[in-house]
Amino acid sequence: MKTPGKVLADKVKRIKDSKLFSVRSEALPTWCPGCGYFGIHYGINNAIQGLGLDHHRVVVVSGIGCAGRYPFFSNTYGLHTVHGRALPVATGVKLANPELTVFAVGGDGDGLGIGGGHIPHTARRDININYVLFDNSIYGLTKGQPSPSSPVGFKTKASPAGTTDQPLNATLMALAYRAGFVARLFAGDPEGIAAALKEGIRHQGFSFFHVYTSCVTFDKQFKTWENLKKRVRPLPGDYDPGDYKKAMDLVLSDDDSMGIIYRRS
Amino acid sequence: MGRVDLTIEICGMSGDGTIAAGGLLNLAVSKAGFSVLAFDSYPAEIRGFGRCVTRSRFSDQELKALTDSTDVLISLDDEQSLSRVPFLSAGAVVLFDSNPPTPVEEAKSLAARLSPGMAVLGVPFRDLATRASGSPRGRNLTALGALAVILGLPEEHFEEVITAKFRPKGEKVLEANLKSFRAGCDHARRELAGRIREPLRPPARGEGPERVMLSGNLAIAQGALDAGLRSYYGYPITPATPIMEYLAKKLPEKGGRVVQMEDEISSIGAVLGSFFAGSRAMTATSGPGFALMTELITHGVMSETPAVIIDAQRGGPATGLPTKTEQSDLTAAVFGGPGDSPRIVIAPTDVTECYRYTVKSFQLAEKYQTPVIVLSDFYLDNRVENVVMPRATEEETADGNLYPDPAEAGRYRRFRLTETGISPRAIPGTEGFLFAATGLEHNERGIPNYDPDNHQKMSSKRLAKIQSALADLEEPVETGGGGEYDLGAVGWGSTWGSVQEAVDRAREEGLKVGALKVTSLYPLHADLVRSFMDRCAEVLIPELNLEGQLATLIGHLFCGDLHRLNRVTGVPIAPAVILDKIREILGKGQR
Repeated sequence: MKTPGKVLADKVKRIKDSKLFSVRSEALPTWCPGCGYFGIHYGINNAIQGLGLDHHRVVVVSGIGCAGRYPFFSNTYGLHTVHGRALPVATGVKLANPELTVFAVGGDGDGLGIGGGHIPHTARRDININYVLFDNSIYGLTKGQPSPSSPVGFKTKASPAGTTDQPLNATLMALAYRAGFVARLFAGDPEGIAAALKEGIRHQGFSFFHVYTSCVTFDKQFKTWENLKKRVRPLPGDYDPGDYKKAMDLVLSDDDSMGIIYRRS
Repeated sequence: MGRVDLTIEICGMSGDGTIAAGGLLNLAVSKAGFSVLAFDSYPAEIRGFGRCVTRSRFSDQELKALTDSTDVLISLDDEQSLSRVPFLSAGAVVLFDSNPPTPVEEAKSLAARLSPGMAVLGVPFRDLATRASGSPRGRNLTALGALAVILGLPEEHFEEVITAKFRPKGEKVLEANLKSFRAGCDHARRELAGRIREPLRPPARGEGPERVMLSGNLAIAQGALDAGLRSYYGYPITPATPIMEYLAKKLPEKGGRVVQMEDEISSIGAVLGSFFAGSRAMTATSGPGFALMTELITHGVMSETPAVIIDAQRGGPATGLPTKTEQSDLTAAVFGGPGDSPRIVIAPTDVTECYRYTVKSFQLAEKYQTPVIVLSDFYLDNRVENVVMPRATEEETADGNLYPDPAEAGRYRRFRLTETGISPRAIPGTEGFLFAATGLEHNERGIPNYDPDNHQKMSSKRLAKIQSALADLEEPVETGGGGEYDLGAVGWGSTWGSVQEAVDRAREEGLKVGALKVTSLYPLHADLVRSFMDRCAEVLIPELNLEGQLATLIGHLFCGDLHRLNRVTGVPIAPAVILDKIREILGKGQR
């Protein structure tokens, strides 16, 4: 019989063998146990590893929030900027040195709230950066306030009667902004994240990754793992991400299928 | 001042060709060998009716300021020119259209408002231009022709600059303009013979280097180009936009790029990103945009990332007075933003310094790993001076970065505490030096850390680093001969020229006064400023802001109450105003 210690040791060995540790910095993530960000972290590391990118030629630029801490846990160059501004800073990095693979990462508050104005323009400029939006529909680092993607009726200390504002759909926004590569992903499927990221990194232009995830600490109501798992499903096998109008229809239909939603050919 | 010191105004409605005539006048006078300093004011509204005034001063001496009295007024529209009458000197020459399209009631006419001592010369600008070229459009050049003859300025210089300006528009346009100009010359020779003055003699400069007409904005843009700028990120805002427009044309020729961003926040963000990746970048803005940038500027301070920011000040607060000049962003530039965030702030005082300080800002930003703010203002940006084109040396544009020792690979501490506070900075792409920079307080390795000792140490490191930049920053410049003064005036930015001229004139009157130019605003050469003020019984600081922002910044270095002279009129402060204040403080009446 395997002891819990043995199980852990096996897991550590498996991760070490995968060489993913080389992309993970020594700093331990500050995220809560059970946080979906671990899955996204795994997915990004896996993509970097899988594409054989030199770590010193990768820059991760982040905003503020739980996701903003990402650069400290990544064994690459990192720039933890201010709230909402990862995209313009990432633009500057990429334009200064196009040899670098540049990621912008951040949460839904960072990207859709304070920094919401930068997504359309980054999409318009279509510079080759990869933006991973960690969407748990909550402000987690400030201990649970509703975010721009929170569903109506979300009760928090800041919204004791429940929210009344319509939630933003980041995938729909990215499509409307004519981003050239749009993927919708689930933090519970790290391999799916890695696979889509590998495609997106290779895409020459702005790539947008909308990742559904859960805040296990402050959301017991809506985007719990249980609820998310019930909602998400893979895209149909015959789905053609090259068809913009179909992509729009799909996303407008409140469907939560996951994968590469749109890719400009 | 010298034997020649003339201020000429051209005033008209937008559409009269006022600004074009002013530009040609400046060029022709420059060709004749005089120093030129000119400043146009134009309406903020693009369409609709507005008054245009060009103001040019020229002299056989170097010029640093405008005066507020006009020696010659060319009126292309009498109704607009009425507003200029109070600024005419006692013996001014006024040229006006003696046959305007709509007759003016005599009581409301320009001529009726002028003093008897003035020479009021009617020239039918429109009629002459129409007769000569078939259209009244060239009336502004007819006026210039009359002016050239009356002042005895060489007509060939005017014809050269007219040719250079209009030849690209076709021979027909050129011919019409030359004919309009000559019609003015001929008329003046024929009808105003008795008014023609002794020809103005330019200074004997000999075969000096060629002079070019340069505005502060173009000097800044050219300085950035010559410094090796790779990326410009900006958002349109008056009065900084011409910098972006000039670079949009020139930077791609050098392999760089101009990106118009969605706002000023993203502009400074991209500048930081580019510098972080090891490449020179810049943004230029004005007060409202600068306010938006402050958070990321402090991020540059905290994460020790270089940036170059031009703040072309205008009247404030908020949207304020977009097309008027003011020096009211100093406090925001030096202290703006959250927390203790020391950065470098420098302020040029003339067009040549606009160039030199911009060049310098890139090396300073790299060497001290900090945002560098260059403070100009509407007046400095838009005034033109005929200057010997400055050229940056290789030494001035050399890479200012301090890179880590390759031996440190694998055990790199990005924010290592050093004696100077400067920690070698690795550029992404370098193997073995991975780090994350952050706006959170962090330890030497760049890992967030809120320990009391750590914050104290790292804050002190960042301050010490900026203080150590004093060694590379321009020291204050004293004029007045040294020793003790009854009064010392301190000036900064575009106001310095007026301060210097006022003090020079006061000294000619026998007053014991001196002046100090301060261009490094943060960090400050406090010991040198103090030692100047220690030698002054009274200290006067004229500034274009309401409460005296430089006075507040350096006032504690003076052991008495200093005198402030503040104006927020939106226009440059004239030397005469400062001179009057000096006389008043010293209890001397006008001689």
